[in-house]
Amino acid sequence: MSTEPDAAGATGEGTVGYGPDDGVLVIENLTKRFGGLTAVDDLSFAVREREILGFIGPNGAGKSTTFNCVTGRYPPTSGTVWYRGEDVTGESAHEMVNSGLARTFQEFRPLHDRTVVENVAIGLVPDRLFSLAGLRGETGQRAASICRRVGLGDRLELTPDELPHAGLLRLELGRALATDPDMLLVDEPFAGLSGPEVESVSGLLRELRDEGLTLAVVDHNMRGLLSLIDRAVVINFGAKIAEGAPEEIRQDPEVQRAYLGGDL
Amino acid sequence: MSDDTLGEDAAVEQSSPATGRSLPARYVAGLIGLALLAVLPVPSLLGVESVTLFGTVTITFGLSSYQLLQVAGAFYFAMFAMSWDVVSGYTGQISFGHGFFFALGGYTSALLNLTYGVAPLAAIPAGVAVAALGGVVIGVPALRLRGPYLSLVTLVAPQVLLSVFILFSGTFGGELGLSSPDNLLGVGLGNPVLVYYIAFALFVAILAVLLAVTRSSAGAVFTAIREDEDAVAAAGLNPAKFKTFAFVLSAAVGGLAGAVLVHTPVGNPQPSQLLATQVSIEVIIAAILGGMGTIVGAAIGGLIVYLLPEYLNTVEYVVPVLDAPVSEIDFLLFAVIALVLLFVMPGGVLRAALRIARDRLSDRRGEGVAADGGRRARTPVEQVRERWRSAVERTLGRGPDRERRTTDGRRSDGRRADDRDANRGHENGGDTDEH
Ligand SMILES: Nc1ncnc2c1ncn2[C@@H]1O[C@H](COP(=O)(O)OP(=O)(O)OP(=O)(O)O)[C@@H](O)[C@H]1O
Ligand SMILES: [Mg+2]
Repeated sequence: MSTEPDAAGATGEGTVGYGPDDGVLVIENLTKRFGGLTAVDDLSFAVREREILGFIGPNGAGKSTTFNCVTGRYPPTSGTVWYRGEDVTGESAHEMVNSGLARTFQEFRPLHDRTVVENVAIGLVPDRLFSLAGLRGETGQRAASICRRVGLGDRLELTPDELPHAGLLRLELGRALATDPDMLLVDEPFAGLSGPEVESVSGLLRELRDEGLTLAVVDHNMRGLLSLIDRAVVINFGAKIAEGAPEEIRQDPEVQRAYLGGDL
Repeated sequence: MSDDTLGEDAAVEQSSPATGRSLPARYVAGLIGLALLAVLPVPSLLGVESVTLFGTVTITFGLSSYQLLQVAGAFYFAMFAMSWDVVSGYTGQISFGHGFFFALGGYTSALLNLTYGVAPLAAIPAGVAVAALGGVVIGVPALRLRGPYLSLVTLVAPQVLLSVFILFSGTFGGELGLSSPDNLLGVGLGNPVLVYYIAFALFVAILAVLLAVTRSSAGAVFTAIREDEDAVAAAGLNPAKFKTFAFVLSAAVGGLAGAVLVHTPVGNPQPSQLLATQVSIEVIIAAILGGMGTIVGAAIGGLIVYLLPEYLNTVEYVVPVLDAPVSEIDFLLFAVIALVLLFVMPGGVLRAALRIARDRLSDRRGEGVAADGGRRARTPVEQVRERWRSAVERTLGRGPDRERRTTDGRRSDGRRADDRDANRGHENGGDTDEH
């Protein structure tokens, strides 16, 4: 992580090779095609230990697909993913979680058939067929405390369908946190949130970082992210167009072009 | 202790201290039911099957030997239904050919006994092992298949097995099956009470094991798989491992029931009893009717589905318009009753009974609203339908990421979230973003 290549910074040319130790999570030359559509195009970047990285790009830029390839939901077409120095390309989703990389779903994927606290508890269940850790007792206590942590402490017994939009996001975070991750990929947490809600979720994410977590947070633009992130990677049409500190990014001509001079 | 709602989820129970709590009413009801089944043969055992009061009214209690055997047969069928439920009801991988496993267990055990003289007690575990192996053979390839495609495989498997049986009729007895192997522990027709109790003991044992598994964290993972496999993986759990386990457990239990059944006077190693499509289908009807995804419901459904036609068969009443005696149209009547029940209680008999009991209780406590807040969770049947729908859509080329549940406006895809995002952004003075 000490040898982050500077050339890969603001110029956005991902040609300088990354090594497995350039960050907690290193993505090199990642490409994902769906039939003829290239959703992620030769993308390379690294996430450094304990930073909050903003992963930004317009609608359909390939942000979620990148996440999906990193977290084992889709196999990448080509490229390499390193997590903590190990080549984890193509590992399955649960293996990634068990090695410490958790994610949330942009479209929210709660289990509709159980309560909030039980949704979180599923993240606490060990990946073993026979375990003494029942869903009652201790597991229930821990699940409840995670719920309190993400601001659902007063809604433990509601079902996901009874939660408002922001509650569902908190539930996603709660389930991810229950897996005890080192790093969290948060897919578009701020879409659909009100100003105060954005503030409150940002606060939570910042707290998590202060406790040692590394975070990558997706958004369309930097508005909600500006005060939260340390660094940003901007992609368009699946390829990286800029990388650097938030202020630099805002001035970047290519980024401005990608947003057609629109709101960044 | 006083304000816990009957039949609510584990979380509710756990949040109130367990000390000094009385058993929830549904457990009491279940135990009473088991106790009744346990004492059912007692009057026949004592030789008192009826008493005559005042010389005129005769009260019959207890069951005839024939009826005892019928109920014993029903126990085995209920075990089949429970074995189906643990994989199909819980994980949502619908098997249309569970007879495959019953037959593997039953035929293995019977053949070992008939051909090599292996005692039933030793042959039965071998039957279980072969059935479990069958569970691996079906369950592992099933990991690559979803929804209807898996079900197609399960539908074909028993047909293949039946073809083998017919092809090698010399060994397997073809469509007629094998002759009766030795009875377990020598308990035969002469001792209906013992036949009953062997069946009952196995029924209780299987019920206990399956309840233990499904009420443990593995059960929570099973139902989570039924609901959303990606979410399960995102929780760090390997869906493939749990699905295979469910399949093998189910196959082993079904094989056990099949293996023991052939060593009783109520069952024989015949395709019509173990392997026929009708067996596999009736097992599904039983589990869904009783309450899919509950084990107890499958047990109750199994008993009902087995005994109801037997009962109808004995009714001498002649249906007026059709001019047919009930006993002749028993299957038609059974089908109609099953359909009506399913229509009235889509979640099954057990869930309906629990809901009624709960509403009664909350009425008594003067709570205005039903305890479940008037919301009805999706039944397992609906969840499975959902899985099938997405599997088919996937095949027809609609990407997995783009399709979302539509049963509820709250569940929407990324685009919809974005639309909402834009709307909210408006409402909040553009606080989030516009694009
Ligand atoms: N499973 C899939 N099959 C086919 N195409 C897909 C699939 N998933 C994504 N795509 C396509 O890949 C491109 C990138 O989509 P992706 O969801 O990664 O974008 P995104 O940056 O997350 O956008 P958004 O801001 O809308 O969430 C889009 O054109 C999308 O239609
Ligand atoms: Mg996305």
